Order: sequence, then structure tokens, then C-alpha cells
Amino acid sequence: MNKSDISNPERGKTLVLVLTLLNTVLVASISALQVDANIRANQANRDSQFAAVQFTGSLIQTGARSDYDLNTYSVLISNTQEALVAEYSAMQQQSLDNQPGFEALTLESQIYQARADRVKSLSFLMNDPAYAPASDQESPNMTAYISDLNSISLELVQKQNDASDAYHRWNNKSDSYVAVLTVLAVAFFLLGVAQMTQPSLRFLFSLFAIGVISIGILWTLIVLIF
Amino acid sequence: MEEPKKKNYRLEVIIAILIALVSLTTALATWRTASLGSKAGDLIFKGLLDAVKRQAAANEDWRRAYQEAGYARDYLITIDGLIVQENSTDPASQEHAAQLRTYLLPGMESLATPLGTDPSYLTSQGWLDVQKRFDELEAQTPDLSSLNPLASFSLADTYFSEQRWLVVGTILIAVSLFWLGLSQLSHLRSRILILVLGVLVYGIGLVWSLGVEFVFFILRGGVM
Repeated sequence: MNKSDISNPERGKTLVLVLTLLNTVLVASISALQVDANIRANQANRDSQFAAVQFTGSLIQTGARSDYDLNTYSVLISNTQEALVAEYSAMQQQSLDNQPGFEALTLESQIYQARADRVKSLSFLMNDPAYAPASDQESPNMTAYISDLNSISLELVQKQNDASDAYHRWNNKSDSYVAVLTVLAVAFFLLGVAQMTQPSLRFLFSLFAIGVISIGILWTLIVLIF
Repeated sequence: MEEPKKKNYRLEVIIAILIALVSLTTALATWRTASLGSKAGDLIFKGLLDAVKRQAAANEDWRRAYQEAGYARDYLITIDGLIVQENSTDPASQEHAAQLRTYLLPGMESLATPLGTDPSYLTSQGWLDVQKRFDELEAQTPDLSSLNPLASFSLADTYFSEQRWLVVGTILIAVSLFWLGLSQLSHLRSRILILVLGVLVYGIGLVWSLGVEFVFFILRGGVM
């Protein structure tokens, strides 16, 4: 123990007190930031899971819808082709002077044509102006149909991915704040030792505490910015 | 010499009582803050479960609506083909149509009801209104109306907000505990200053926490 330590044992205690106050304010602020980051992580995690549930629903809906629409279109194609084949066959029978065959095949053609006409009126692909063909020789715009059909699912996937990224970002921040708080707890310990020890060692411990607090502040700034 | 010692001892007792009180308040505030987070977590869990249940019901309703639309489509095109057969001059074809109408069509009609039998299910453009049928199926499931994930999420958000604000109060109370502890260790003159600071911070923290509780109690509808 040197002479100045004996003459003034309270030396440097004000500095320790100020540092402790600073550290307390820092710990309080970072605790609040940690809670906030944790809440944001929870909310983003929830949004991500909710979007995932909606996405699976959207996939099932679009699957059922495309199955129905394409099936209806294929029924139209098959009935139209059957009507055409029956009509050609009827003409063939007529050229062979087979009147009963001609009449039977003409009736068959008319039946298929009636079915085709009805299914055409029921077909979304053949009637919606966005996809309907301009003439009977053309097909519906399948590329636009598939693209529009999947647009909602793709939007939901994007939403889910964004929420998932946000969750990871906030969760990492929350973890980092916990680490910073641990560092600042070490500073509290050093300041406590500084308060109890002799003045010459008090400054040394205060210096260590300042170093640890600086690391904590720097780390917090990095977490806040990135 | 005896008087300051006595005074000092009395102050030490007061500080010890204050520390006990603040410790208890800190524990209570920490418990309340944690329980708010827990409540919010429970509500999120409930909301997600509701969302899964709702989506599962919606998935089934979409599947059923499109299945019914398929039956309705097949029924309607069968009828149009049948009408041509019935109107033909061929007696064999007419007989065939009559047999189909008697034995095949009733079964198809029951499957196609209501989309294929009620004209109100046809859109103005001509195709079947599957969305309308889906909405009806959703409305027919009474349990679905009680499942509202967004309401649970919204309520969870109010608990999260309350937790955010209450953390500030809890931190202030915890900080006051630190100052009170410090005043116990300090010498007489600085002790009173630090004690006043500790009591002041504690008061602010307590009023803040109670205020947050009151405001969010009212925001959540009070006792109603």
C-alpha cells in the first residue's frame, strides 16, 4: 500500500460510481432492446408459420381448380373430336350408299356435338377473355392461365420467406444482446471489485471495466446497425 | 459521537427494509413481464392451431366444391346428349335415351345437386360458380366461425406491446435496487444522496408499471 492510498482511501470512488451508473443505464437500455428483438422475432416467426399454412391451402385450391379446368377442357376436346370422327364416318357411309349407317353416325355426331357445345359453355378456359382463344382453331392461353393460377401461391411463398428471414435476423439480434448483457455483467463485477479495493488497484480495475464497457457499447452498435 | 452512529444504524435499517420491498417488487414485475410474454406465446400458438384447423376445413371444402363441379359438368353434358337422342327419329335411340333417363340420370342428378341443377350456380359468363358453392360449404361449418387466428394474433400483439412497456418499468425498479444496495455500502453523506436517487427511480418505475397495466387493461376492454 503506498502513501497516497493511506492518506486518501476514498480516491477514485466517484469515478467508479459514475462508471457504475453508466453501466446500469447501458444494461437497462440493452435489456429493453433484447426484449424488443425477442418480441419481433416471435412475431416474425408467427407470420412465417401463418403464411406457410396459407401457402399449403393455396396449393390445394389451385391443384383442385386446375384439375377441374383442364379436365373440362379435355372433355371438350374429346367430344369435339368424337363428333368430327362420327361426321366424317357418316359422310363415308353416305358415299357408300349405306343410308342406315349414315343416319346412325350422323345422330352419334350430333350427340357428341351437343355434349361438346355444353362443355364449351362450362369451360372457364374457353370463356374467360384473359385465356379464351381468338378462334376455334386456337388453344386457350395456358401460359397465362398457369401463371395467374400460381401467382397467389408464389406471393405467399415470398411472404413466408420474408417473414422467416426477419425471424432469423431478430433472433440473432436477440442472442447478441444477451451476449452483450453478459459482457456488461462482467463490467459490473470489475466495478464492484474496484469499489472495494485500495485506490491504486481501483484505477486498474476501473480501466479494465472501461475496456469491457467499450466492447459492450461497440458490440451493441454493430448489432443495432447490421 | 453516539448520535451519528445511532442515526447511521437507523438509516441502515430503513435501507434494508427498502431493499426487501424493492426486491419483492422487482420479482413481481419480472414475473408479470414474463407472464405477458407467455400469454402472447399461448395466443400465437392458439392462433396457429386455429389457422391450421381453418385451412384444413377450407382445403376439404375446395376439394368437395370442385368434385361437385365435376359431377355437375358430367350431368349437364349427359343431359344435352340425351336430349339429342330423345329428339331423334330412330326408335332404338329414343328407347336408349328413355332407359338412360330412368336409370342413369337420377343417380347423376343426386351427385350433381346443387351445382348442376340450380341455374343460380351458373355465372353470367356461363361456367359454374364454384366460389359460391365453396362459400356455402364454409358457412355450413358452424365451428369455423369461432376459429379466428387473426383475432388471437391481434390480442397477442397487445400483450407484446404491454410487455415492451412494462420492461421499461421493471428495469427502472431493478436499477433502483442496485442504487439502494450501493447506498447501504456507502458512507453517510453520499449514502443519503444515493438513497434518494434509488427511491426516486423506484417510484418512477412503480408508477410507470402500474400505469402500463392500467392503460392496457382499459385497451383490452376493461372488465367487460
